[in-house]
Amino acid sequence: MTKVKGWLQDNLKGDPILWGIVIAFSLISILVVYSAIGTLAYRKGQGNTEFFLFKHTGLIVVGLIFMWFAHKINYRYYSRLSLIGLLLSVPLLLFAWKFGTTVNEASRWIVIPVIKQTFQPSDLAKLALITHLASMLSKRQLNIDNIKETIIPMLFWVGLICGLIALMNISTGLLLFLTCMLLMFIGRVPMKYIMMQILVGAIAGSLSLALGQRMNTAISRIENFMDKDETVFQLEQSYIAIATGDIFGKGPGKSDQRNFLPLPYSDFIYAIIIEEYGLIGGVLVVFLYLAFLYRGMVAVSRSYGAFGGLLSAGLSFSLVIQAMVNMGVAVGLGPITGLPLPLLSMGGTSLIFTGISIGIILSVSRSEAELAASSTKGNSPGNIKTNFSSKMVAHVSSN
Amino acid sequence: MAKNIKKSIVTRVRVAFLAICLFAVAIVAKVVHVQFFEGKKWAQLQKESRMIYLPVYATRGNVLSDNESIMATSLPFYRVAFDPTICDEKHFNKGIDSLALLLSRFYRDKSAEGYRRKIKNARLAKRRYIRIHSRQLNYQEKKMMASWPIFREGKNKGGVIFEKVDKRFRPFGTLAQRTIGRITEDKKGSGLEYTYNSYLAGKDGEALFERMAGGNKPIYNATDVKPLPGYDLKTTIDINLQDVAENALYKALVANNAQYGCVVLMEVKTGEIKAIANLGKAGEGVYVENYNYAVGNHGRTEPGSTFKLASMMALFEETNLTPSDTIDTGHGRQLIAGKAMGEATGGGYGKISVGQVFEKSSNVGTAKLIEQHFGTQPQKFVDYLHEFGLSKPLGFQMHGEAKPFIRTPADVSWSRTSLSRMSIGYGLKISPLQTLAFYNAVANNGIKVTPIIVKEIRKGSTVIESFDAQDFNPTRICSEETVKKLRVLMEGVVEHGTGKHVKSQYYKVAGKTGTSWKIKNGKYIKDYSTSFAGYFPADNPKYSCIVIIDTPKSGRIYGGDVAAPVFRELADKAYARDLSLHKPLATRVITDRQKLPPVKAGNQEELTLITNKLGISTHNKSEEEWVKADSQGHSLIWKSNKLMVGRVPDVAGMTLRDALFVLGNQGLKVQTEGKGRVQAQSLEPGTPIKKGSIITIKLS
Repeated sequence: MTKVKGWLQDNLKGDPILWGIVIAFSLISILVVYSAIGTLAYRKGQGNTEFFLFKHTGLIVVGLIFMWFAHKINYRYYSRLSLIGLLLSVPLLLFAWKFGTTVNEASRWIVIPVIKQTFQPSDLAKLALITHLASMLSKRQLNIDNIKETIIPMLFWVGLICGLIALMNISTGLLLFLTCMLLMFIGRVPMKYIMMQILVGAIAGSLSLALGQRMNTAISRIENFMDKDETVFQLEQSYIAIATGDIFGKGPGKSDQRNFLPLPYSDFIYAIIIEEYGLIGGVLVVFLYLAFLYRGMVAVSRSYGAFGGLLSAGLSFSLVIQAMVNMGVAVGLGPITGLPLPLLSMGGTSLIFTGISIGIILSVSRSEAELAASSTKGNSPGNIKTNFSSKMVAHVSSN
Repeated sequence: MAKNIKKSIVTRVRVAFLAICLFAVAIVAKVVHVQFFEGKKWAQLQKESRMIYLPVYATRGNVLSDNESIMATSLPFYRVAFDPTICDEKHFNKGIDSLALLLSRFYRDKSAEGYRRKIKNARLAKRRYIRIHSRQLNYQEKKMMASWPIFREGKNKGGVIFEKVDKRFRPFGTLAQRTIGRITEDKKGSGLEYTYNSYLAGKDGEALFERMAGGNKPIYNATDVKPLPGYDLKTTIDINLQDVAENALYKALVANNAQYGCVVLMEVKTGEIKAIANLGKAGEGVYVENYNYAVGNHGRTEPGSTFKLASMMALFEETNLTPSDTIDTGHGRQLIAGKAMGEATGGGYGKISVGQVFEKSSNVGTAKLIEQHFGTQPQKFVDYLHEFGLSKPLGFQMHGEAKPFIRTPADVSWSRTSLSRMSIGYGLKISPLQTLAFYNAVANNGIKVTPIIVKEIRKGSTVIESFDAQDFNPTRICSEETVKKLRVLMEGVVEHGTGKHVKSQYYKVAGKTGTSWKIKNGKYIKDYSTSFAGYFPADNPKYSCIVIIDTPKSGRIYGGDVAAPVFRELADKAYARDLSLHKPLATRVITDRQKLPPVKAGNQEELTLITNKLGISTHNKSEEEWVKADSQGHSLIWKSNKLMVGRVPDVAGMTLRDALFVLGNQGLKVQTEGKGRVQAQSLEPGTPIKKGSIITIKLS
């Protein structure tokens, strides 16, 4: 037993609670996705429902492996990697927009040649943008209200990436933009600039809408949401799932609505969770996301440099906000968006990027733990605070 | 300073966290609200179970002739339904009067006011689905209707729903009707449609529907299972020969006022059936394809004289007799095996050769010869019949093949006269197709091949399964020596025997006539079944053929008079048509068949309809409305040419009309150069469209 514990401590560095939450999500995901897709796979006549079970489990494991590698890398390297990621994602996004594979009338996917795996450049762009934004914010903390040096470069990247994503997928672009604004708010960018950016964003957003492929979908979805008299088909089915789930749920694998809800293993997985595991299951999932966010936030107060804290906050907020939006859609708090529920929905390569994001958060918490350990051993506790400022100054000067 | 920065950041993170917490509380609150305050409403909705999965029927495969002409296909028909709640107020009010008038004029069953009230009431009652009329429209009618007010706004804005119903359609009408066959909804039927149903039917899909008063409304859902279209069946039937066979048979049946008749024409080497006609009397002078007499149980009769070929084959296999050896047939009725037997003509032929026995179809001669050589060991004769493959079904590719009935000496019903009676084709039963296969073996140098009617099972132009005479174990049933003797006998029948009617100056025919008494209530009555079986050209057999005319009532009773003319007419036509029998010009025929019309791109439904009319088989690789054509072998394949909103469409290969429609729909202004089909377009396909751009298309 102690052996296992020792091995875990040696190999799984970083916040143990965060590890626990991720493992819990993975198990729930396997259970619910298998239930949600099982009857579909069966009805489609292939018969082997296990195929999806193994495929999904395999992808989760691959995600965890990426997460493990990502958490082994010192998070400071990500600052440099992020710029490469950004520079790479611009042509990839353009390529996907022009030549991507079409799913539901919007091209979002690129097929990677040799392994024939589809991949969404927006996943890469999202990760890179948040990391880079955290890096830029931390480097410019001392002159955060300088328009020319601070605001303009940030607005450039945020606007470019979100705009490109919005060409194909408005909700993802919009959500990323809002997450970036939140990160800027946390990173002490003055409110007046944030407001200004939101205004610019609104203009750019409607422009890319008009240019992009999803204008009509967006309008009809918002119209549907606004129309109080009539519930859209998907939402009606979702309500039925939630209502019949009751407090304790119908039990694992007993969902009826999985037959009628579109994408029960992705967009509406939260409704299936409530149907099978009841209000209790639903609350537990919400709680797990909040706990995840809390642990990501703890890193901010513990961090010695602004970059680690902002990075951890940015990534955890990005993930949890998307989760909240997805769940909000499933219970009818917002218009239908088509965003998957991170950590729970079935998905291909996006699981890998989720894994990397969490790996980076863990890396931040790992570095802090190590630093704290070394400082209690060698240095006096008073050094910690000086450390914080000197690190930051070092960051600023290194630029 | 640094401390302040950190403090500020931490505070801001906490504010953001609190905001997220609030949203989380809102989610839980909404769940609680749905469960406890609206719970009953939604649970009730589920109980009503308005969602159902219904089958989406697969398009049935085509039945094709030997040159890919469509003999049976499924054509789309449409029923019109309407969701009156979809159309907006402006369009509805503007269009409803003229729509009601048009509907009233079209269906002629209700006044314009009636239609107007029906639709308006449904709209007021917020009914989401009404069926306008139960009549099924063809494609042209559907297209016209789709241009009417309100309807022309389409499904999503106007609310019109065209429900597709497939109907089986035979472009050649009743031609080969019984062979093509049919299948009912409870999977009963006949012919190829029934036998090959598992291939033709395809696999039905499933889609989610919402139950509504008046019908089920489809919901477009990612969970739908798309139907798999059925496979095509390529038969060996030659439409022209089939037509000749049916006409000749029909004429003969009417002229002889017969009960029923059948004709089968088979290619000697391949066993392919080129024509198979079956007509039964439906009324005075009216004959229809009501049963497959050539194949099925009702056509199985005592074959009579045509069976003498089997007796002769057994005789030549067993002994060293030659056609020129002689036998005394006496002068009238004679006792054979203790029972009197006479000739059909009443008299006697005296001492004649074996060849003449066959030519004149002498019962006495045949029976005497068989009694002489097999009288003491009848089992041996029966063994020969087994060897000739006459006692077992052929394993024909159609459900319901008759089983031959042949007695053996071990049977209780075997008597002293059985052998002599069998030798002239009585006391046993065999179907026309089985007789033909036996005659074909003689034409094919003693190798018996199984007749085939299904050549290929195909998915589009990909062959899934193909059939060949070789697949059915062709076997040698007699020596080549015997074949030579039998051919002399059969040629003699036409040259100077009972089959003089089929004699042609252009080519040589060999065959045998048959006339058998019919049994009614266990007694032979004065009704006959007449037949002629043979092959041509006799020196290099290409086709074998059998004609049966049952119960002729106009006085003529002999196969040579009744059945032979039908044989002659079909043989003439087959000979005249088959250029390979004259000189080798076959290649030209093939290039003609391969020529496909210059269809390149357009609306899938229209193209399919046109090509179906032209008898060209098509294959869908795409569900899209707009497609590009690609030829493969003898058929055309539709490949997707998807239109994307806001992108320049690919109009290459389309007609000007289609191109204008497609480009105009995308908001492009079109300039044209030249005439014909689109060859080039100035804007690259797939690029985003700027409002009001001009596109130039070159036609040639």
